[in-house]
Amino acid sequence: MVNRILLRKLLRDLLQRKWSLVSLCLIVTIGIGCYISMAGVYRDLSGSKKRYYQNYRFPDFIVDLKRAPEWAVEEVASFPNVRAVRGRVNFSTLIDLPGKDEPISGVSISMPETNTPVLNDILLMSGTWFSGENDKEVILNDAFAQENGLYPGSRIKALLLDKQHELLVVGTAKSPEFVYLISPGGGELAPDPARFGVMYLTERFLQESCELEGAFNQIIGLAHDSSRTALTATFGLIKEKLDPYGVLNTSLAEDQPSARYLADELTGLKITSTVMPSIFLIVAALVLNVIMSRMVAQQRTVIGTLKALGYSSGSITRHYVSYGAIIGLIGGLGGIAFGYWAQGALVTLYREFYTLPDFEPHFYFDIFLIGMAISLAFAVLGTLKGVHHAALLEPAEAMRPPPPEKGGKVLPERIPFFWRRLPFRWKMILRAIFRNPFRSSVNVLASLVATALIFSALSMTDSLDYLMSYEFEKVSHQDITVSLRDPKDITTTREMLLLPTISETEPQLAVACDLKNGPYQKRVGVMGLVRNNRLYTPLDKDGNPIVIPERGLVLSKKLAEILNLAPGDTVTLRPLIGLRKEVLSPIVGTVDTFLGLSAYANINYLSNLIGEEWAANVIMGNTFQRTSERSFLDKLKLRPTVTGIRERTRALIQLDETFGETMGTMMSIMVLFAGLIAFGSVLNTTLVSLSERQREVGTLRVLGYSPANISRIFSGESLVVNVVGILLGLVFGILLAKSLSLAYSTELYRFPAIVYPWRLVMCAAIMVVFISAAQLIIYRLIRTLKWLEVLKIME
Amino acid sequence: MEKKQIILSVKSVSKIYRMGEVDVPALRDATLDIYDGEFLIIVGPSGSGKSTLLNLIGGMDRPTRGRISFQETVLSDLSDKDLTLYRRNRVGFIFQFYNLIPTLTALENVQVAIEITQDTLDPMESLTMVGLQDRADHFPAQLSGGEQQRVSIARALSGNPDFILCDEPTGALDLEASKNILGLLVDLNQKLKKTVVLITHNSAISEIGHRVALIRDGSIHSIRSNEPPKPVEQISW
Repeated sequence: MVNRILLRKLLRDLLQRKWSLVSLCLIVTIGIGCYISMAGVYRDLSGSKKRYYQNYRFPDFIVDLKRAPEWAVEEVASFPNVRAVRGRVNFSTLIDLPGKDEPISGVSISMPETNTPVLNDILLMSGTWFSGENDKEVILNDAFAQENGLYPGSRIKALLLDKQHELLVVGTAKSPEFVYLISPGGGELAPDPARFGVMYLTERFLQESCELEGAFNQIIGLAHDSSRTALTATFGLIKEKLDPYGVLNTSLAEDQPSARYLADELTGLKITSTVMPSIFLIVAALVLNVIMSRMVAQQRTVIGTLKALGYSSGSITRHYVSYGAIIGLIGGLGGIAFGYWAQGALVTLYREFYTLPDFEPHFYFDIFLIGMAISLAFAVLGTLKGVHHAALLEPAEAMRPPPPEKGGKVLPERIPFFWRRLPFRWKMILRAIFRNPFRSSVNVLASLVATALIFSALSMTDSLDYLMSYEFEKVSHQDITVSLRDPKDITTTREMLLLPTISETEPQLAVACDLKNGPYQKRVGVMGLVRNNRLYTPLDKDGNPIVIPERGLVLSKKLAEILNLAPGDTVTLRPLIGLRKEVLSPIVGTVDTFLGLSAYANINYLSNLIGEEWAANVIMGNTFQRTSERSFLDKLKLRPTVTGIRERTRALIQLDETFGETMGTMMSIMVLFAGLIAFGSVLNTTLVSLSERQREVGTLRVLGYSPANISRIFSGESLVVNVVGILLGLVFGILLAKSLSLAYSTELYRFPAIVYPWRLVMCAAIMVVFISAAQLIIYRLIRTLKWLEVLKIME
Repeated sequence: MEKKQIILSVKSVSKIYRMGEVDVPALRDATLDIYDGEFLIIVGPSGSGKSTLLNLIGGMDRPTRGRISFQETVLSDLSDKDLTLYRRNRVGFIFQFYNLIPTLTALENVQVAIEITQDTLDPMESLTMVGLQDRADHFPAQLSGGEQQRVSIARALSGNPDFILCDEPTGALDLEASKNILGLLVDLNQKLKKTVVLITHNSAISEIGHRVALIRDGSIHSIRSNEPPKPVEQISW
């Protein structure tokens, strides 16, 4: 039963401490809000993904072949563990859009003539399925169509093998295969729907255009047991039985870039949705503890009186614990409201990167309940320590004034040399800090946590900037990169020099290879570089150019780690094109890189491995400076062997616009939240110390101290404690940035930990702003304190 | 005064406080009976152990040795829970510094006591009895010392206790206000037949009680009867 009178007392006590109440509730609100929003988005995203993958039959495995007759699909279907299969044509394409001077890379995927359910099905967003009357009908990826202003009825040109076709757009669609729209080859960080297209064409038309009549070049399938080990066995069988058709690649669908990004995002969300709220709630609980210990000490006689009136220890504990519960309740409700709003905002943000049907913010009652329970639990735990002691006091003892504080010397006093030289004000400040070790520690901790969070947020943006400038400015110097379907003689690549405005070119040979070292194996793209490479100069993390040996491979550290290799070892290498023969290749060196799992070799060494001499399938080119002439792009559109064209600056801008902006916004919010931790804890601990020392303030006022003089004593305390907190926080921030860079070390990318000294200064300055805001409130309170009354009450 | 029934008896009670390293005896071997309906004054200088005695009688503390029995119940045998019930239902406290809860109004300060008891007076009625019906909505800070003490009396009364314990109830008040409060206590004793135990260091006050116990150095030094007690108007200090 709720005691109405005590409830009224509680509410009035809280109102008297409105600053504490507001700042604490805010911290709890943020913590719970983070939990609600992230847990909500996690469930929205994972649920939507699960339904999408299931309803549109996202496969378990993908087999790429040179050319498999249609009946080979039936054969795979009969293999053990295979539940369903589909053969299809998957071919890279160059798309030529009206009004665009540059050709756009894309893939063409075959679909049945009539809309029947298949693996990796598509969801029509507008228009219709193929009419069956016209071969040259295309259904476009919805995001690509929208970005380029294409609708059912638009006409586009696309290059398939050596022929350009004019196609009629009949519909637009989404597919579980391209939730995160990047090319299956990977290599990009952010989707660029304007510059990567997916075209769905009728099976017959695509087979004819790609010289695959009656055949497929990809088999996708579902397995009974989709675990990695079970599928490895299935792949073994497939490679063996389908070898005559040229098995180029077998892979798990979950390793496909879109699926991988989505899975990594979900894992990240799950971790963040635990870590972030915990940080805020722990700080809130500790600060609450400081406040409650003080309130209980202040209300010692009230507790004695209540006990004398016959209130039990239990009911007094419940009464004081209710303070925490109220804060938990308000913070929890605030967190639910804020969290639900943020969930919506996050879903909108995610939609820019991930295309899923019915990806909407849903209302999850159980998450709200859990959020509320966590909020209440932390808040109640925060009050317990302070309350427990007081509730156990005998009423007679509670009625007596508390025993005088231990008046022993504080730590700095034991160093007389130091102590004697301190001005009086600093003696007061240091005594106050050391006499309340718990409170001072909470303040140091809060300030440490806030500083570390702010620094790691700033450092993350620096890392991204660094990564972008490293990859796009220091390593890559070419203006455009043209990919060819098959390796050509290196001399033919010089042909590009004949194109207008091209000033220099450099060939490259990119070969997908299986690298094997005993039980460790990995499929990677090995990059063959010419000896005096100028346009693409891979560097190690320290910025030194990598020297490519005549023979052997240089591996990125991450790859060497995965394969358990060190320089001096040899690796079994099997290229997936050309000869496809296993050879032993020496590891000449390893190098620390940021993106992908790179392996480098000399271009001729690599050519020999695929049975060629001096071959290349990538041509990089530079244009004469300051030319805006792009007519060469037009010429490239029609080259049958060209499968992709990338412009370096465009990729950089795109990355900056999507990733950079999102990251900037998220990190600003993070800085604000972390600042609130600092603000709230400084405000509360100082308020407590002010309330404890009201008499001291009164006495000092009598002695002629101005409010500013007194504020200086309190802000001095805050200064010392927070300087310690900030310094420790910077150290922790650096460590945090380093460990985050380790945590974000995936096969796709590795974030460097970037620590600029000026960032440390900026971080400290941001902290000073938040702490000063709290100090301003304290100053106002000191100025308006009715000190004469304080002195009278004690008489 | 005719022979009265003993409501509470203190037998050979000692209380020793441990202050850091040293034992401080606050009460030694005190023996005292309290009769139903009497106005008992315990008088002694400060530090003589009178507050300790009052706390023990009120169930706010436990004796180190000896026994205190209320009617048939031995207080030192009671669990914390039962001791809480004893304070709640049997005893009304009045303190020197009123001990009102600053964030509650006069009326609410009375209500706080009756929220947890069954057989209670109407809180407004209690306030009317002490003449504060017009100030029910005032907070303690808006009341004078005498008025605050009257709220405290109303609070003690409202739970309908068997006896009322007053710890220096006029210690913080001027003469006029003090006489006002003492008159109120005598009224309670005479009209409502409440047993009142009052401790004070002020021997002038001892004149108004039926009996006076003198306490010195933690022991009951002597007990005398006032026949008859002096009316409150006639005392002065």
